[in-house]
Amino acid sequence: MDTFTNKGKRAATIVFAILIILTFITFFIGESGTSSLTISLFVLALALIKGELVGAYFMGLGGIRGFWRLPILIWLFIPGSLITIAFYLSA
Amino acid sequence: MNNSTTISLDEVRRYPPGDLAIWVFIMAELLVFAIFFSAFAFTRMNNVELFNEFQLTLDRQAALINTIALITSSYFVVRAVLCIQEGDNQWCVRWLLAAMGMGLIFVVVKFYEFSHHFGNGINLSTNTFYMFYLSLTFFHFMHVILGMGILGAVAYKAHKGGYTPEDHIGVETGASYWHMVDLVWLILFPLIYVMR
Repeated sequence: MDTFTNKGKRAATIVFAILIILTFITFFIGESGTSSLTISLFVLALALIKGELVGAYFMGLGGIRGFWRLPILIWLFIPGSLITIAFYLSA
Repeated sequence: MNNSTTISLDEVRRYPPGDLAIWVFIMAELLVFAIFFSAFAFTRMNNVELFNEFQLTLDRQAALINTIALITSSYFVVRAVLCIQEGDNQWCVRWLLAAMGMGLIFVVVKFYEFSHHFGNGINLSTNTFYMFYLSLTFFHFMHVILGMGILGAVAYKAHKGGYTPEDHIGVETGASYWHMVDLVWLILFPLIYVMR
């Protein structure tokens, strides 16, 4: 039990650190003022990775098998794809 | 004993943490936000210059603070769940209160942003960008308020010793809702404040 929770703590802390780092990368890209389709899609990709990390490690869906592993992945994929298409068409 | 443990672990792997009803609610909420995000992106297609121009009027530093606050609060909630799994109610309550504190930072910063915009005469009918910005962020803001209420109720019950390592579905249910609030903001932040 202790080993289980210690692993959980370590994983959550590592994911937390990654989320903070990716957030700062996103922020500094915004602050740089550069704008292009590639940069926008890179920022979106970072957001989708962050979303998957939250779903898998914070929401606890990472170790689940079957249907309930899918909702967050699908949620990230569908609007992620639509946003990509919209930004591509407007570039 | 071994059989029941095996069945219990198997159930944990097949179903998400917390009450299944909250997951139906979470999926419904996520669907609404997905429609909002897509509508924002496709409306922007015909108003790129307008969206890019008024995006620059937003306070990106405030959004950074809010993103860090929500991520940190989500992490604190994870720690609260791990504590209750160990039977440590006291630390579970502390982590939940810390998460609510981070939520409060979000609320204060967002309130400051709203006050700034409304003080400048900006409202839903100012232009299409602000219509989306105010609608989306206020809708999310209300979810943060509700989430803080849920975390408060869970913390109160944990303080009263209402959860055990064997029965703490309420903590996981509240945690799942709070993570959903965090998840939505993680997409909202780059879409509205950064991507151009």
